Amino acid sequence: MGRKKSPVDPPVCSLCEAPAVMNQQYSRRSLCSTHFINDVEERVFQVIEKKKMIRAGDRIAVALSGGKDSTALLLLLALHLPKWQDVSLIAVTVDEGIHGYRDETIRAAERVAENVGVEHSVVSFQDLFSDNLDTLLKGREEQACTVCGILRKKALIEGAKKVRATKIATGHNLNDEAQSVLMNVLRGDLPRLVRNSGIDTADSFLPRIKPLAEIPEKEVASYLFVKGMFLLLPECPYRGFALRADVRSMLSGLEHRNPGTMLRLMESRKKIEKYLEWEKVSGPLHRCRQCGDPCSGDLCQVCRLLLSLAR
Amino acid sequence: MGCAPQPTHQDMKIILPDQGTRVIERGPVSVEKMLHELRINPLEVIVSRNGTLVPENAVVGADDEIRIIRISHGG
Ligand SMILES: [Zn+2]
Ligand SMILES: [Zn+2]
Repeated sequence: MGRKKSPVDPPVCSLCEAPAVMNQQYSRRSLCSTHFINDVEERVFQVIEKKKMIRAGDRIAVALSGGKDSTALLLLLALHLPKWQDVSLIAVTVDEGIHGYRDETIRAAERVAENVGVEHSVVSFQDLFSDNLDTLLKGREEQACTVCGILRKKALIEGAKKVRATKIATGHNLNDEAQSVLMNVLRGDLPRLVRNSGIDTADSFLPRIKPLAEIPEKEVASYLFVKGMFLLLPECPYRGFALRADVRSMLSGLEHRNPGTMLRLMESRKKIEKYLEWEKVSGPLHRCRQCGDPCSGDLCQVCRLLLSLAR
Repeated sequence: MGCAPQPTHQDMKIILPDQGTRVIERGPVSVEKMLHELRINPLEVIVSRNGTLVPENAVVGADDEIRIIRISHGG
Protein backbone atom coordinates (compact mmCIF):
# COMPACT_ATOMS: atom_id res chain seq x y z
CA MET A 1 0.00 0.00 0.00
CA GLY A 2 3.06 2.26 0.03
CA ARG A 3 2.54 3.05 3.69
CA LYS A 4 5.50 4.60 5.49
CA LYS A 5 7.40 2.18 7.74
CA SER A 6 6.69 2.92 11.37
CA PRO A 7 8.68 1.61 14.32
CA VAL A 8 5.70 -0.54 15.26
CA ASP A 9 5.89 -2.45 11.97
CA PRO A 10 7.07 -5.97 12.67
CA PRO A 11 10.68 -6.70 11.71
CA VAL A 12 10.81 -8.79 8.53
CA CYS A 13 13.09 -11.51 7.20
CA SER A 14 16.24 -10.40 5.34
CA LEU A 15 15.56 -13.07 2.71
CA CYS A 16 11.80 -12.67 2.21
CA GLU A 17 9.00 -10.45 3.46
CA ALA A 18 7.69 -12.73 6.18
CA PRO A 19 7.83 -11.60 9.84
CA ALA A 20 11.20 -12.27 11.45
CA VAL A 21 11.47 -14.61 14.43
CA MET A 22 15.19 -14.23 15.05
CA ASN A 23 18.00 -11.69 14.76
CA GLN A 24 21.37 -13.23 14.08
CA GLN A 25 23.75 -10.61 15.34
CA TYR A 26 26.84 -12.27 13.91
CA SER A 27 25.36 -12.60 10.41
CA ARG A 28 23.52 -9.26 10.64
CA ARG A 29 20.38 -10.93 9.39
CA SER A 30 16.83 -11.27 10.59
CA LEU A 31 15.16 -14.51 9.62
CA CYS A 32 11.56 -15.71 9.35
CA SER A 33 10.63 -19.10 10.74
CA THR A 34 11.14 -20.90 7.41
CA HIS A 35 14.50 -19.32 6.64
CA PHE A 36 15.67 -19.67 10.22
CA ILE A 37 14.87 -23.39 10.28
CA ASN A 38 16.58 -23.88 6.91
CA ASP A 39 19.60 -21.97 8.17
CA VAL A 40 20.05 -24.10 11.31
CA GLU A 41 19.51 -27.35 9.42
CA GLU A 42 21.92 -26.36 6.69
CA ARG A 43 24.64 -25.19 9.09
CA VAL A 44 24.51 -28.36 11.14
CA PHE A 45 24.78 -30.45 7.98
CA GLN A 46 27.74 -28.35 6.80
CA VAL A 47 29.60 -28.80 10.10
CA ILE A 48 29.07 -32.56 9.97
CA GLU A 49 30.36 -32.70 6.39
CA LYS A 50 33.24 -30.29 6.90
CA LYS A 51 34.55 -32.16 9.93
CA LYS A 52 33.74 -35.56 8.41
CA MET A 53 31.86 -36.49 11.56
CA ILE A 54 29.79 -39.22 9.95
CA ARG A 55 30.92 -41.94 7.56
CA ALA A 56 29.34 -44.85 5.76
CA GLY A 57 28.85 -47.77 8.12
CA ASP A 58 28.44 -45.59 11.21
CA ARG A 59 25.93 -46.47 13.87
CA ILE A 60 25.56 -43.27 15.87
CA ALA A 61 24.53 -43.35 19.51
CA VAL A 62 22.77 -40.04 20.08
CA ALA A 63 23.02 -38.99 23.71
CA LEU A 64 19.42 -38.05 24.45
CA SER A 65 18.77 -36.48 27.84
CA GLY A 66 15.35 -35.25 26.76
CA GLY A 67 16.49 -31.63 27.20
CA LYS A 68 16.46 -29.11 24.39
CA ASP A 69 19.97 -29.64 23.00
CA SER A 70 19.81 -33.39 22.67
CA THR A 71 16.25 -33.21 21.35
CA ALA A 72 17.32 -30.77 18.65
CA LEU A 73 20.33 -32.95 17.87
CA LEU A 74 18.20 -36.06 17.39
CA LEU A 75 15.71 -34.18 15.20
CA LEU A 76 18.50 -32.79 13.03
CA LEU A 77 20.36 -36.07 12.66
CA ALA A 78 17.14 -37.93 11.84
CA LEU A 79 16.31 -35.26 9.28
CA HIS A 80 19.66 -35.56 7.49
CA LEU A 81 19.95 -39.32 7.88
CA PRO A 82 18.72 -40.17 4.34
CA LYS A 83 21.67 -38.17 2.95
CA TRP A 84 24.21 -40.61 4.37
CA GLN A 85 24.71 -44.08 3.07
CA ASP A 86 24.53 -47.00 5.41
CA VAL A 87 24.29 -44.93 8.60
CA SER A 88 21.91 -45.67 11.47
CA LEU A 89 20.93 -43.84 14.65
CA ILE A 90 20.08 -45.04 18.11
CA ALA A 91 19.14 -42.75 20.99
CA VAL A 92 20.80 -43.50 24.32
CA THR A 93 19.52 -41.96 27.55
CA VAL A 94 21.48 -42.06 30.79
CA ASP A 95 19.31 -42.38 33.90
CA GLU A 96 21.44 -40.94 36.71
CA GLY A 97 18.67 -41.45 39.21
CA ILE A 98 17.98 -37.84 40.18
CA HIS A 99 14.74 -37.68 42.11
CA GLY A 100 12.09 -35.27 40.88
CA TYR A 101 13.97 -34.53 37.70
CA ARG A 102 14.98 -37.50 35.65
CA ASP A 103 11.70 -39.38 35.40
CA GLU A 104 10.00 -36.60 33.50
CA THR A 105 12.92 -35.99 31.18
CA ILE A 106 13.20 -39.70 30.40
CA ARG A 107 9.56 -39.74 29.35
CA ALA A 108 10.24 -36.70 27.17
CA ALA A 109 13.21 -38.52 25.63
CA GLU A 110 11.08 -41.59 24.91
CA ARG A 111 8.48 -39.49 23.15
CA VAL A 112 11.04 -37.67 21.00
CA ALA A 113 12.72 -40.89 19.91
CA GLU A 114 9.35 -42.38 19.05
CA ASN A 115 8.35 -39.25 17.13
CA VAL A 116 11.36 -39.42 14.83
CA GLY A 117 11.24 -43.20 14.61
CA VAL A 118 14.62 -43.83 16.22
CA GLU A 119 15.33 -46.81 18.45
CA HIS A 120 15.83 -45.84 22.12
CA SER A 121 17.90 -47.39 24.88
CA VAL A 122 18.23 -46.38 28.55
CA VAL A 123 21.28 -47.09 30.70
CA SER A 124 21.22 -46.35 34.44
CA PHE A 125 23.79 -45.45 37.10
CA GLN A 126 22.06 -48.01 39.27
CA ASP A 127 22.89 -50.83 36.84
CA LEU A 128 26.40 -49.65 36.04
CA PHE A 129 27.64 -48.32 39.38
CA SER A 130 25.13 -50.11 41.67
CA ASP A 131 23.83 -46.81 43.09
CA ASN A 132 21.92 -43.83 41.81
CA LEU A 133 23.41 -40.34 41.79
CA ASP A 134 21.36 -39.11 44.75
CA THR A 135 22.80 -41.88 46.93
CA LEU A 136 26.34 -41.52 45.60
CA LEU A 137 26.23 -37.79 46.37
CA LYS A 138 24.97 -37.90 49.97
CA GLY A 139 27.04 -35.39 51.91
CA ARG A 140 29.03 -34.19 48.93
CA GLU A 141 26.35 -32.40 46.94
CA GLU A 142 28.73 -29.59 46.07
CA GLN A 143 30.66 -32.04 43.87
CA ALA A 144 27.49 -33.03 42.04
CA CYS A 145 28.34 -31.83 38.56
CA THR A 146 31.89 -33.16 38.63
CA VAL A 147 30.82 -36.59 39.88
CA CYS A 148 27.82 -36.73 37.58
CA GLY A 149 29.82 -35.50 34.59
CA ILE A 150 32.45 -38.22 34.95
CA LEU A 151 29.97 -41.01 35.59
CA ARG A 152 27.57 -39.88 32.89
CA LYS A 153 30.34 -39.87 30.31
CA LYS A 154 31.25 -43.40 31.32
CA ALA A 155 27.60 -44.50 31.32
CA LEU A 156 27.13 -43.07 27.86
CA ILE A 157 30.15 -44.96 26.54
CA GLU A 158 28.90 -48.19 28.10
CA GLY A 159 25.38 -47.54 26.79
CA ALA A 160 26.76 -46.92 23.32
CA LYS A 161 28.91 -50.05 23.40
CA LYS A 162 25.91 -52.09 24.47
CA VAL A 163 24.01 -51.09 21.34
CA ARG A 164 27.13 -51.61 19.19
CA ALA A 165 27.47 -47.96 18.19
CA THR A 166 30.55 -46.76 16.29
CA LYS A 167 30.29 -43.15 17.50
CA ILE A 168 28.61 -41.03 20.13
CA ALA A 169 26.90 -37.77 19.21
CA THR A 170 26.22 -35.19 21.92
CA GLY A 171 24.14 -32.02 21.84
CA HIS A 172 26.76 -29.55 23.08
CA ASN A 173 26.01 -26.14 21.61
CA LEU A 174 28.28 -23.13 21.07
CA ASN A 175 27.59 -21.78 24.57
CA ASP A 176 28.50 -25.11 26.18
CA GLU A 177 31.70 -25.25 24.19
CA ALA A 178 32.69 -21.67 24.99
CA GLN A 179 31.90 -22.26 28.68
CA SER A 180 34.15 -25.32 28.67
CA VAL A 181 37.01 -23.38 27.10
CA LEU A 182 36.74 -20.67 29.72
CA MET A 183 36.38 -23.15 32.59
CA ASN A 184 39.44 -25.09 31.51
CA VAL A 185 41.41 -21.85 31.27
CA LEU A 186 40.22 -20.83 34.74
CA ARG A 187 41.27 -24.22 36.09
CA GLY A 188 44.57 -24.18 34.23
CA ASP A 189 43.68 -27.47 32.61
CA LEU A 190 45.53 -27.34 29.30
CA PRO A 191 45.05 -30.99 28.27
CA ARG A 192 41.31 -30.74 28.65
CA LEU A 193 41.24 -27.36 26.98
CA VAL A 194 42.46 -28.79 23.70
CA ARG A 195 41.06 -32.29 23.98
CA ASN A 196 37.40 -31.65 23.36
CA SER A 197 37.31 -30.35 19.84
CA GLY A 198 36.39 -32.08 16.63
CA ILE A 199 36.32 -35.82 16.81
CA ASP A 200 37.53 -36.74 20.24
CA THR A 201 38.85 -40.21 21.02
CA ALA A 202 40.98 -39.35 24.03
CA ASP A 203 39.19 -41.35 26.67
CA SER A 204 37.52 -44.21 24.89
CA PHE A 205 37.61 -46.13 21.67
CA LEU A 206 34.36 -44.53 20.66
CA PRO A 207 34.80 -41.22 18.88
CA ARG A 208 32.49 -38.43 20.04
CA ILE A 209 30.97 -35.88 17.69
CA LYS A 210 29.25 -32.57 18.51
CA PRO A 211 27.25 -31.47 15.48
CA LEU A 212 25.67 -28.47 17.29
CA ALA A 213 28.97 -27.04 18.52
CA GLU A 214 28.68 -23.99 16.27
CA ILE A 215 25.04 -23.19 17.00
CA PRO A 216 24.35 -20.67 19.80
CA GLU A 217 22.10 -21.93 22.59
CA LYS A 218 19.42 -19.37 21.84
CA GLU A 219 19.16 -20.67 18.28
CA VAL A 220 18.88 -24.27 19.45
CA ALA A 221 16.00 -23.27 21.73
CA SER A 222 14.41 -21.11 19.03
CA TYR A 223 14.68 -23.93 16.51
CA LEU A 224 12.74 -26.25 18.80
CA PHE A 225 10.21 -23.56 19.67
CA VAL A 226 9.48 -22.79 16.03
CA LYS A 227 9.11 -26.50 15.35
CA GLY A 228 6.64 -26.73 18.24
CA MET A 229 8.92 -29.06 20.18
CA PHE A 230 10.18 -26.83 22.99
CA LEU A 231 9.26 -28.36 26.32
CA LEU A 232 9.50 -26.78 29.73
CA LEU A 233 11.16 -29.47 31.80
CA PRO A 234 12.30 -29.42 35.41
CA GLU A 235 15.84 -28.17 35.96
CA CYS A 236 18.45 -30.42 37.45
CA PRO A 237 18.34 -29.83 41.24
CA TYR A 238 22.15 -29.91 41.42
CA ARG A 239 22.91 -27.36 38.74
CA GLY A 240 23.53 -24.40 41.06
CA PHE A 241 26.55 -26.09 42.60
CA ALA A 242 28.77 -25.93 39.55
CA LEU A 243 31.47 -23.49 38.53
CA ARG A 244 29.72 -23.75 35.19
CA ALA A 245 26.72 -21.82 36.53
CA ASP A 246 28.95 -18.79 37.20
CA VAL A 247 30.82 -19.12 33.94
CA ARG A 248 27.54 -19.46 32.06
CA SER A 249 26.03 -16.21 33.30
CA MET A 250 29.33 -14.36 33.04
CA LEU A 251 29.79 -15.48 29.46
CA SER A 252 26.25 -14.69 28.37
CA GLY A 253 26.66 -11.22 29.86
CA LEU A 254 29.89 -10.74 27.92
CA GLU A 255 28.36 -12.08 24.73
CA HIS A 256 25.40 -9.73 25.09
CA ARG A 257 27.59 -6.66 25.51
CA ASN A 258 30.27 -7.83 23.04
CA PRO A 259 28.66 -10.04 20.39
CA GLY A 260 31.13 -12.59 19.02
CA THR A 261 32.88 -13.22 22.35
CA MET A 262 32.05 -16.93 22.29
CA LEU A 263 33.23 -17.38 18.72
CA ARG A 264 36.51 -15.60 19.53
CA LEU A 265 36.99 -17.86 22.53
CA MET A 266 36.62 -20.88 20.26
CA GLU A 267 39.09 -19.32 17.82
CA SER A 268 41.71 -18.93 20.52
CA ARG A 269 41.37 -22.57 21.42
CA LYS A 270 41.86 -23.50 17.78
CA LYS A 271 45.06 -21.46 17.69
CA ILE A 272 46.42 -22.98 20.88
CA GLU A 273 45.62 -26.41 19.52
CA LYS A 274 47.45 -25.70 16.29
CA TYR A 275 50.74 -24.84 17.95
CA LEU A 276 50.57 -27.39 20.68
CA GLU A 277 52.40 -30.67 20.79
CA TRP A 278 49.76 -32.95 22.14
CA GLU A 279 52.18 -35.56 23.53
CA LYS A 280 53.94 -32.97 25.65
CA VAL A 281 50.69 -31.78 27.18
CA SER A 282 48.93 -35.04 27.81
CA GLY A 283 51.86 -37.25 28.73
CA PRO A 284 51.99 -40.86 27.57
CA LEU A 285 48.77 -42.82 27.45
CA HIS A 286 48.35 -45.64 29.97
CA ARG A 287 45.70 -48.22 30.66
CA CYS A 288 43.68 -48.12 33.85
CA ARG A 289 44.77 -51.05 36.00
CA GLN A 290 41.20 -51.58 37.15
CA CYS A 291 39.14 -51.39 33.97
CA GLY A 292 41.66 -51.13 31.11
CA ASP A 293 40.33 -47.85 29.72
CA PRO A 294 42.88 -45.49 28.23
CA CYS A 295 43.96 -42.85 30.76
CA SER A 296 46.89 -40.67 31.74
CA GLY A 297 47.75 -42.23 35.10
CA ASP A 298 47.49 -45.49 36.95
CA LEU A 299 43.73 -45.39 37.40
CA CYS A 300 41.17 -43.77 35.11
CA GLN A 301 38.97 -40.92 36.34
CA VAL A 302 35.95 -43.18 36.76
CA CYS A 303 37.71 -45.86 38.80
CA ARG A 304 39.42 -43.22 40.95
CA LEU A 305 36.06 -41.55 41.57
CA LEU A 306 34.23 -44.78 42.38
CA LEU A 307 37.00 -45.70 44.82
CA SER A 308 36.74 -42.35 46.59
CA LEU A 309 32.93 -42.55 46.73
CA ALA A 310 33.06 -46.02 48.24
CA ARG A 311 35.07 -44.67 51.17
CA MET B 1 -2.58 -16.37 40.03
CA GLY B 2 -6.22 -16.01 41.08
CA CYS B 3 -5.59 -12.60 42.59
CA ALA B 4 -4.01 -11.08 39.45
CA PRO B 5 -5.89 -8.00 38.25
CA GLN B 6 -8.17 -8.54 35.28
CA PRO B 7 -6.45 -7.17 32.16
CA THR B 8 -8.12 -4.09 30.75
CA HIS B 9 -8.03 -3.35 27.05
CA GLN B 10 -4.72 -1.51 27.06
CA ASP B 11 -2.82 -3.99 29.17
CA MET B 12 0.06 -6.23 28.18
CA LYS B 13 0.31 -9.54 29.92
CA ILE B 14 3.82 -10.84 30.55
CA ILE B 15 4.42 -14.42 31.60
CA LEU B 16 7.78 -14.49 33.34
CA PRO B 17 10.38 -17.28 33.28
CA ASP B 18 9.42 -18.31 36.82
CA GLN B 19 5.84 -18.82 35.55
CA GLY B 20 4.68 -15.74 37.41
CA THR B 21 2.45 -13.34 35.54
CA ARG B 22 2.62 -9.62 35.41
CA VAL B 23 0.07 -7.38 33.75
CA ILE B 24 1.53 -4.00 32.90
CA GLU B 25 0.03 -0.93 31.43
CA ARG B 26 2.57 -0.02 28.88
CA GLY B 27 2.68 1.64 25.52
CA PRO B 28 4.46 -0.11 22.66
CA VAL B 29 7.94 -1.23 23.71
CA SER B 30 10.65 -3.27 22.01
CA VAL B 31 11.33 -6.75 23.34
CA GLU B 32 14.89 -5.67 24.03
CA LYS B 33 13.79 -2.73 26.18
CA MET B 34 11.21 -4.82 28.01
CA LEU B 35 13.85 -7.45 28.89
CA HIS B 36 16.27 -4.72 29.93
CA GLU B 37 13.67 -3.30 32.31
CA LEU B 38 13.13 -6.76 33.75
CA ARG B 39 16.93 -7.20 34.03
CA ILE B 40 16.89 -10.26 31.82
CA ASN B 41 19.73 -11.05 29.40
CA PRO B 42 18.06 -11.62 26.01
CA LEU B 43 20.56 -14.40 25.26
CA GLU B 44 19.21 -16.45 28.15
CA VAL B 45 15.58 -16.44 27.07
CA ILE B 46 13.32 -16.70 24.07
CA VAL B 47 10.27 -14.51 23.83
CA SER B 48 6.95 -15.26 22.20
CA ARG B 49 4.05 -12.96 21.43
CA ASN B 50 0.67 -14.67 21.33
CA GLY B 51 2.47 -17.94 20.81
CA THR B 52 4.83 -16.81 18.03
CA LEU B 53 8.55 -16.30 18.49
CA VAL B 54 9.65 -12.66 18.16
CA PRO B 55 13.12 -11.10 17.76
CA GLU B 56 14.46 -8.47 20.17
CA ASN B 57 13.66 -5.57 17.87
CA ALA B 58 9.99 -6.50 17.63
CA VAL B 59 7.66 -4.02 19.29
CA VAL B 60 5.09 -5.42 21.64
CA GLY B 61 2.27 -3.68 23.42
CA ALA B 62 -1.40 -3.53 24.18
CA ASP B 63 -3.38 -6.76 24.09
CA ASP B 64 -0.29 -8.87 23.58
CA GLU B 65 0.39 -11.91 25.63
CA ILE B 66 4.16 -12.08 26.02
CA ARG B 67 5.87 -15.19 27.28
CA ILE B 68 9.48 -15.10 28.40
CA ILE B 69 11.01 -18.58 28.47
CA ARG B 70 14.33 -19.31 30.11
CA ILE B 71 16.41 -21.58 27.89
CA SER B 72 19.19 -22.72 30.21
CA HIS B 73 19.35 -26.46 30.35
CA GLY B 74 19.94 -29.07 32.97
CA GLY B 75 22.03 -31.64 31.19
ZN1 LIG C 1 12.26 -15.56 5.14
ZN1 LIG D 1 39.30 -47.49 35.16
